Formats: sequence, C-alpha cells, structure tokens
Amino acid sequence: MSTSKDKSKVHKLSLKGSSKLVAEFFEYSINSILFQRGVYPPEDFTTVKKYGLNMLVTADDQVKAYIKKIMSQLNKWMLGGKISKLVVVITDKETGEHVERWQFDVQIYGKHTKIVSSRKTTDKENDTPGDADSQATATVEKTEKEIQDEIQAIFRQITASVTFLPVLDEDCTFNVLVYADADSEVPVEWGDSDAKEIKNAEKVQLRSFSTNNHRVETMVSYRLAD
Amino acid sequence: MATPLVSTPVKTHHGIFSTKMAGGRMPLTPSPRGRRDSVASNSSSPFTPPRHDSEAAKEQSRSVYGGNLSSYFAKSVSRSSRAYRESPKSNIARIRKSPKHLELGASDWSLTGTGPSSTQSPSKERLRKEVPSRTRTGKTTVRITHNAGDRFIPNRSASECLATAGAAKPEENQRPKTSSSDGSSVLASAASAFDIGGRGTDEDLTAALENLGLEDDESSTSYTKPAPDAVAYESSLANACGVNLNTRILAFKPPPPESSKPIDLRAQYNRPLKAAKSQSAQFRRRVQTAPERVLDAPGLLDDYYLNLLDWSSGNQVAIGLERNVYVWSADSGSVSCLLESSSDTYISSVKWSGDGAYVGVGLGTGEVQIWDVEEGTKLRSMYGHESRVGVMGWSKHTLSTGARSGLVFNHDVRIAQHKVAELVSHTSEVCGLEWRPDGAQLATGGNDNLVNIWDARSLNAPKFTKTNHRAAVKALSWCPWQLNLLATGGGSYDRHIHFWNTTTGARTNSIDTGSQVTSLRWSNHYREIVSSSGFPDNSLSIWSYPTLVRNVEIPAHETRVLHSCLSPDGQLLATAAADESLKFWKIFERKPGTNASASREGGVGSKAQLTKSMTIR
Repeated sequence: MSTSKDKSKVHKLSLKGSSKLVAEFFEYSINSILFQRGVYPPEDFTTVKKYGLNMLVTADDQVKAYIKKIMSQLNKWMLGGKISKLVVVITDKETGEHVERWQFDVQIYGKHTKIVSSRKTTDKENDTPGDADSQATATVEKTEKEIQDEIQAIFRQITASVTFLPVLDEDCTFNVLVYADADSEVPVEWGDSDAKEIKNAEKVQLRSFSTNNHRVETMVSYRLAD
Repeated sequence: MATPLVSTPVKTHHGIFSTKMAGGRMPLTPSPRGRRDSVASNSSSPFTPPRHDSEAAKEQSRSVYGGNLSSYFAKSVSRSSRAYRESPKSNIARIRKSPKHLELGASDWSLTGTGPSSTQSPSKERLRKEVPSRTRTGKTTVRITHNAGDRFIPNRSASECLATAGAAKPEENQRPKTSSSDGSSVLASAASAFDIGGRGTDEDLTAALENLGLEDDESSTSYTKPAPDAVAYESSLANACGVNLNTRILAFKPPPPESSKPIDLRAQYNRPLKAAKSQSAQFRRRVQTAPERVLDAPGLLDDYYLNLLDWSSGNQVAIGLERNVYVWSADSGSVSCLLESSSDTYISSVKWSGDGAYVGVGLGTGEVQIWDVEEGTKLRSMYGHESRVGVMGWSKHTLSTGARSGLVFNHDVRIAQHKVAELVSHTSEVCGLEWRPDGAQLATGGNDNLVNIWDARSLNAPKFTKTNHRAAVKALSWCPWQLNLLATGGGSYDRHIHFWNTTTGARTNSIDTGSQVTSLRWSNHYREIVSSSGFPDNSLSIWSYPTLVRNVEIPAHETRVLHSCLSPDGQLLATAAADESLKFWKIFERKPGTNASASREGGVGSKAQLTKSMTIR
C-alpha cells in the first residue's frame, strides 16, 4: 500500500486538475440523471451553461446540500486517486428494487503504467494484455476543448437515453456508490454496501472521455421490462 | 439449533455472491488474508464449538467468546458481532461482506472452528469448556451426523466465515500484506491438533477429527503454499468472480431528500427547457390583462337568460339596468338615459340596429320597442310575445326576437304588420340569437339545450338542430372570416364551446372550457375567439382557432360575466358582470398601420373594414 501512496504523491500535481474535472463531471452527471429520470420534479432544476450545453442542476436546497456533501468527499478521493467507479443507483421507493444503475468507471493512467510493484502487476494480471499500455501510449496531450467536447457528447447521450430507458412510473429515489481502494479513508457518512446490481439488467455502454490522467467510461444498466 | 446451523451456509453462500458470481468457488479456499485471520482467531479460539452447537445459543456464544477474546468471557456472540458492525474499522477489507454475514460467520465459526487457543490460557479455557461439553456429549453426536451428511457445505461456509470474522477484527488483521500469516497458519493447524488431543472425550475427538479432516481436504494445500502463489490464485479467483480485492464499495449512507411532489416523467420528456408558450415569440402578442376602463352598472340584473349589453357601429354602448336603458358614448364618454320602462316590468334585452341609429328594447312583458337614439324617442312598439323577450337580433330591417316561450318572431320593422315569420322549434326560453353577417342564416340557442340553425329563406323548420350541448345555449357567434362557421357555448352543466359548419351541419371542433360559457366573440383581427365565463372562473379566455389553444385567461370579474360585446373597430371588448360593473378590455389590439383584413390574412368582415379607429375618453 505504501507504494501506491508514493505514487499518488508523485502524480498529485498533474492529477489535480484532471481529478477536479472528473469530479465536476460526476456532479453534473448526478444532476442530469436526477433530472432526466425524474427523481425530482423538473421545476426543481435550473439551467446553467456548461460544456457548451444547457445543463440542468438542482435548485432545491436540500438536494443541493446532499450532492455537495457527496462531492466534497468525492473530490478528496479523486485527488488521492482512490476511486475506480462511481455509481448512481435509482431505486423504486415502494419496492426497494433497484431499477437503474449508472456506472462511471474511472481509470487512472498513472496507476497502471508507472507502478511496477508486485501488487499492481498481479492485480492487472488478468486485464486485457496491453490494455493499460496502449492507453498510456495513446495519451497525447489533449486540449481542453477536446475534453469538453467528449464530455458534451456524454451528456448528450445521457439526455438522449430517456428514449430507450424504460419509463419510471413509480416514485424513485437514488443512492450514490463509489468503488474505492481498500485503504481509503472513509468518513462516517459512508459505509460498505453491496453493488446494488440490477437483476436481469440490460446494459448500455455510453461514450467515454479521457483527460491526460483519467479515463471515464459511462454505462447505464436498467431493468428489462417483464 | 442444528437445523439453522446446517442451513446457514447455504444462505451465506447466496448472500455473499450475487448472481453474477454464483457458483464461484472462492469460498472453498480461504484467501491468504482470511487464512491468516483464521489463524489469528485460531490462536485464541478453542475448538470447542462442535460440541456446543446443539446446545442453547447462550452457552454456545459464551464458548465462542471465551475463545475469541479470552479475557472477556461475559460478552455474547451477538454483542460482539454488533460491536464489529458498529466499529468504523469493521469495514471489511473484502467486498460483499455485510454485517449479516459477520454474524453468520460467528455462529458457523463456533460450529467448525479449526483450532483451539493453545497459546494464551489453554488450561483455563479448557476447564471452562469442558464442563458444559461433558454434559452434552450425546447431543454432540447428533450434530456430527448432520455434519457428516452435509459435510462440505458447512465447512465451505466455515472457512469463508472465518475469513470474514477475522477480517472484521480490528487492527492487526487490517494490513493485508504481511507475510507472517503463512507461517502461523501451519502452527495453528498443529495447535488445533494438539488441542484436540488434549481435550479428552471421545466424542470431542471424533468431532474434531471430522472437522479437521474436512478442513484439510479442502484447504491444506493452500495452507502450505507460499504467499505469491496464493496471492495470484486469489486474484485470479477474484477476477473470475468479477471482484476487485483492492476495492470496497462504499455507499453514501444518508437518505437522499424526498422529492417535493410526485413526478410524471412522461410529461417531462417532451418538455422544452424553457417553459415557452405554444407560439413562438414572433407571433406572440401581448394581451392587456387589466381593463382599459371600468364603469359602474348599478342594478344590472344577474340573469343569464337576458342580453342587456350592446355596442353600436356608431360607437355607443347601450346597457339595460333594471327598468332603464342607458346609452354611453364611447367617443365622448357621456351617458344618457334613453328610456325608463313602466314600473311593472324590466328591460330584458337591448340590441342596436346595424346602422347604429336605432336600438331595439325587449321588455319583461313581451313588448318590443324601437327607439331612435339620436332623437331619444320611441319609434314603435311591437307586440306578439306573451313572455319576456330575452334576446334580439337585427338583420337589416328585420328584427328577430326570442322569448321565454321558446318562440322566435321575425319582425319587419318597416311595416305595420310587423310579424313576418314565426320560428317554432325551441321548447324553452330562447336566450341566444345571432344572424349571420350576410343575413342568410340565423342561429338560435335555448334553455332546451338546443342550437337551431335556420335558413333565412325557409323559416318553417330549422335547417339543423343540434343537441350536443347539455345546458342552455346563450353564447353564439358567427365567424367573421368563414361564413359558415358558428361557435356556440353551453351553460353550467355543459361548459363546452362547439364549432359548427353550418353548411353541412357538422361539428368541426369542441373545447371544454371548464366553466359556464356566457358569451362568445370572434376577433375581427386575429384568428381567435374570446369566451366569457360564469361559474367558476368568471374570466375571459382567448382561444386560438383552429388550434383551440387558450392563449390568455383574464380573471375579469368577481362574479360571473353575463354579457360581452365588441367595439365596432373590433379591438375592445366590453363585459358586464353580476358584480354590477362594466369593463372594457383591449384584448384584440391592433398594431398601428394594419387593417382588419390584413392582420387576419384576408378575411371578410366588411363591417370591420368600414370602422374607423376609435378611442374611449
């Protein structure tokens, strides 16, 4: 574990901006999902210009505070490179059934390539060979504009996804999960959870975006109609 | 006790592994950490549980605890597991271990623990445990048969749960990568063997061997393996199961705020981001929602069936207030009392002739008078109706009058024998009557819920009789730009506006307004129609035609709007309401420089073209 800590220290500076960007992306994603999937009424949202789009963010103080709390911790974890996935699970209020699951996979380039500790290599033993390498070599400096365009494309997809996602008739609520490294510091508000997977889920891979340090892939899984 | 113990492993299995991982073999072999953990616990836990398992839970738990933390005998298993759960450090380093599994682990552990606490205080513990065990040897045997019959499942879960329980222990077990565990695991197996040997009773030995043997069957190989292999094996297993050993799933525990109200997603999908009106800004026009002017109308009868307001082509407004007819000149703003009826009756209707020179006045007695306004003199009285005349309509020299009896008479006002036609169809009071601008058709509506459309050339029977309304029909209006289009509005129980093609008799459109329709007026300038309503809205609504979209709703009066009429230039609407006020609304304001037909893209309305721009002073 000490090795990975050293590593994160080494890369902290270059990671910082990228982590912030990814965390911000998460924040807008959560807001968009809450709006698009009707977890909160549309009147509770206001538009802001972001990524060259009209993004909808909640204007409800309670929801705002709730997301802010999540984001403050997420930011810390992102900076520490502790997070491998962020998941927004939409759950039926009545039955408690998970009906939709938005998963954002985070890869940190530095993690795979720079570290040659035995742990890391064994971890990645069964990954697709060359996967990490090719990504690392493919990492050419991206302009901010390119990154923004990629993010914009994701949000367009999230917005468009309502066309194929099942209508959520029931009142729904949501939960935020993160897949964090085992050694992460965990504040009291966060506790271990199961993956809240959906049974018989249909999965749709959406677009991804990458910065010089991170790659974020988006996937939505949803309950198939009976 | 035996039954739940046997069945728990199955549960555990399901609980720990999602469908995705079902059938994963991971629990068969303890992970290195788990192994070390089990060693750690073994070092302090005796191999007593098998003897206890058929005993009461209390004793069982006591023995477990005695083994686990030898200095705290008093605690029970349930308490200890709860303690694990509450401890922030109890976040198990491996995923998919809920607190529930911890508990199961504790009980199963007592069931098939692998080693006694040989090092810490063996004698003391053994003493404690052997006392109960001796008294329960028979039951232990029963349990062994269970175990034998189902041998693999309990053991599988046992090793799994040992790992869980061990991982839950604070501090020394949290560091996964220490390598000391492998050595001590060997020690532990040896120790367990020792302990069994030293324990005494045959039953115990049998049970212990049974379990030991099982344990060895499954995991002895990995016990002896060096660390790197085991790590590789573990990670391969983990990968096979889709589990990343180095991550844990964390949920943000506080519940999200409740949504303020239920949401209809379907309404949301097609919603534009901005709540725009149906029209684009280019075509949207502003409608003043405040009245242009308010006049008092004291004594206005609150009677739906009367028609007491009319605006002449000469820009004069006539209004019947109880027994008087007043004429208000919109040009000068002056008011004059035209007439006062005899005290035994009241004014039931007023109607200007087309040229604006004469006003017809219907009375409660059934008498119809014609007055020259400029002179202020009565020209003639026409009798014939035996009940009040609630509605009238001019078509050139013909005055049509509808009465409470349901009869409609046509009077030629030029001749002495004025009654030229008797239109018999309505069976109840006629309250709506409107000539088509070209005089070819007459529409009447009555309290019998009927709409009759008459052909001026054959008045023996209505051309069409429409029964669609479910309440009295007072509101009638002919479309100025499409001659054969008639709009009719129904009363309180109907609340609909129907649109008719009076050539074919077909109903072309309908609107449910949600309130009593008291009058309808087509705009001369816009493809719109305004309706006034009674209960419950007391409002004016402007509807686009033919889209039937309600463009504006103006809360016009405090009580129901009884009458309305358009100014001769078509821009203003006058409304009289039961709150005894007369209000003027600039609802069809025209942009300067456009005439009626231009703004309507070529309409008819010769009347509108003749009008000059007028103002109210």
